[in-house]
Amino acid sequence: MQISINNFTKTFDGTPVIDDMNLTIRDGEMLALLGPSGCGKSTTLFTISGIHRMDKGQLMFGDRDVSGLPSQKRNVGVVFQNYALYPHMNVFENIAFPLTVRKDNKADIDREVRFIAALTHISELLERRPGQLSGGQQQRVALARALVRKPDVLLLDEPLANLDAKLRLEMRSEIRRIQLETGITAVLVTHDQVEAMSMCDRIAIMKKGEIVQIDTPADMYSNPRTSFVAGFLGNPPISLLNGIAMGNTFSIAPIKLRVPLGSHEGIADGTPLKLGVRPEHFGPEGDIAVEGKITFAETQGRENLYDVELADGSVLRSIQPAARNWKLGEPVRWFIDSKSAFVFSDDGLRL
Amino acid sequence: MVLLLGFFFLPVVLTSVFAFTNMSTATGISGGSYVVTGNLLRSLKDEGLDAKTIDALGQSSYVIDQAGLEKAHAAGVDARFITEIAERLKDRSFTSSTAFERELKTLPSRPTRVRDLKIAAGAFEQSVLNVRYASRGEMEAALTHMLENPPEGAIEKVATASYTGWTWTTENFKNLVITPDTWRIIGNTVFYVVLTLAFNVLVGLFLAITTFYLPPAGSGFFSVLWLLPRITPVVLYAVMWKWFTWEDGFVFNIAQDLGLPAFNYMKGSVASAWTVVILVNGFVGASFGMILFSGALKAIPVQQLWASEVDGASRWQQIRYIILPHMRWPILFVTSYQTLSLLSSYEQIWLTTNGGPGSTTTVWALEAFKTALNNYTGNLQYGLGAAMALILVAVGLILSIVYLRLFRFDEMMSKPKIEF
Ligand SMILES: Nc1ncnc2c1ncn2[C@@H]1O[C@H](COP(=O)(O)OP(=O)(O)O)[C@@H](O)[C@H]1O
Ligand SMILES: [Mg+2]
Repeated sequence: MQISINNFTKTFDGTPVIDDMNLTIRDGEMLALLGPSGCGKSTTLFTISGIHRMDKGQLMFGDRDVSGLPSQKRNVGVVFQNYALYPHMNVFENIAFPLTVRKDNKADIDREVRFIAALTHISELLERRPGQLSGGQQQRVALARALVRKPDVLLLDEPLANLDAKLRLEMRSEIRRIQLETGITAVLVTHDQVEAMSMCDRIAIMKKGEIVQIDTPADMYSNPRTSFVAGFLGNPPISLLNGIAMGNTFSIAPIKLRVPLGSHEGIADGTPLKLGVRPEHFGPEGDIAVEGKITFAETQGRENLYDVELADGSVLRSIQPAARNWKLGEPVRWFIDSKSAFVFSDDGLRL
Repeated sequence: MVLLLGFFFLPVVLTSVFAFTNMSTATGISGGSYVVTGNLLRSLKDEGLDAKTIDALGQSSYVIDQAGLEKAHAAGVDARFITEIAERLKDRSFTSSTAFERELKTLPSRPTRVRDLKIAAGAFEQSVLNVRYASRGEMEAALTHMLENPPEGAIEKVATASYTGWTWTTENFKNLVITPDTWRIIGNTVFYVVLTLAFNVLVGLFLAITTFYLPPAGSGFFSVLWLLPRITPVVLYAVMWKWFTWEDGFVFNIAQDLGLPAFNYMKGSVASAWTVVILVNGFVGASFGMILFSGALKAIPVQQLWASEVDGASRWQQIRYIILPHMRWPILFVTSYQTLSLLSSYEQIWLTTNGGPGSTTTVWALEAFKTALNNYTGNLQYGLGAAMALILVAVGLILSIVYLRLFRFDEMMSKPKIEF
């Protein structure tokens, strides 16, 4: 079901948290709300679920306006960050809870619970209490409980934040598998760009209660609208150099760096600019030479990460195949791939 | 540690000890002496001691012996008169004062005034009645002296009964079992504890949950309001209820204005007296319950409440399936703690209805208190009171064990969260 949020505003104790947000989640897609901690992701999620109410704005489930409905009447499934399982009920009772309070008959409940338990691979855990489960198992139970009454939308609040690295990888693909199998519309809240990129059809990047950009992971990566978005996606992150416009080039005069602005012609000389260079676009090959010194080197197995400090103190990050090793302190003359670099205005807008 | 154990157990130990004695104001709590009194003779007669012995014990006899002569001398009787008595009446004895006095009047040096004659006669009187003997031996000697051919065992029986100090006995418990009052008081106690407890827990829960759902501004005010009964000193609180329910009190006037029967609601009828007693204690306990329940409610993770709403639970279902299960431990605690304190509390009842009208609202603890410490007749029966208290302690212990079983306390405690 398509979910749309129109002109949504939310204030906590006089502090605006969300300001005039518009967002549409397409039917059957999994959308990531990605942003730094405190930017209002959970607030948005809880507003969709009805736990928080909108101060202003409209929330549509399909063509039904649910803005005024309490969460009981919205038919949403929520997986909370700490799972919020009911500790005094066993797994079966936890999953059955949404059906029990709806007063479904016993046989239906039993069938539905077993079906969803099979889908989430927890059939053998139904008798256990939440306290007797591992983090990953609790996660699956929470997911099953959220899905059991076939909600219009599945809302996940940082579902992987409390898991260890290996489980996180496993649950990442599990959640995506289950979402695809059920075809449910889903919103995933996360501050982890890897999670957002690997699990979701589209990503909405949030900053201070606003959605900065909404796009597919690939488009977002290759075509960021602001330096904030460019900085949020990619690991290791993009490097930003500060310079000025000078004769249709991005220029840092003291180190004689000049990168052609290409299509962005006609910028007045002296305008401050930022140049974004992803680590994979800086290395021994490219077209714009830069001299510097290795100040950081880290081996990741297949690849090595380097920080190269330029003469003026600014730093460019690089990722290189592990075949050739550069040593810490070694002087290098590497190249920026100027066609792949992003040019931003001083306030972060992409040119 | 020893000191702590001492403070915890000493009262119980003392109660147990007292419970098996017949201590009272009359016996004192230290040793006593041996006295045959008129009352004692009457009760001995009721217990079937033969009439002859009773009569003999009740009578005085007059024996002219050396001891009597010396006593008369000391009492200031005329020396010539004493000499005449010694010469003429030595070693004779009389069974009544009239006979003896008649004999005395025949003597030449007899005093002219009747009063002086009686003093002289009195010096030769011999009786065990109202004479205090320090030891059992002296009492038995006196009895042997008084009684000619007493029936088998009579002397021992009288000597034992004449002891004014306390003795070891299980009579207290036997008496409690056979007194019909006991069963009425037990009935009252059960009625009182069950109803007050129900009021404590249900009203406490109701207030806590309502306050929980109220916006914070209102809930603060109400929390304090509901605490008032708990923080008001007991005496003031009881006096407040008196004003409230007595003649010309608040309820009285309202009832009058409404044309309802207006009377002293605290003592005027059994039903209203019980209502007052249960409400007075009920509100104090409900306050206590509310504090605990409110604390426990705040400790429920808010995500669980959110989750239940998202899952479609109504307010009532939320309370029933999420909140109440979280309240199991505090409910157990309030129930058991309140049962025990209600069983042993009497202050509020004492200060309000004082167990009345009649003894319709007298509960076990109040009866024990009155028996042992606060009694109209003035004879405080420590032993009996302690026996009642001991039964209360035993009942309390048994109930604690039952409660712990019932709520499967062990299950809650068995797995330590922190391993050593
Ligand atoms: N119940 C609340 N009362 C007051 N402020 C809140 C409340 N919930 C969230 N906030 C504030 O709103 C902002 C956004 O919070 P949230 O949506 O939880 O951020 P996140 O993106 O980390 O999930 C934060 O600054 C937070 O302090
Ligand atoms: Mg959050």
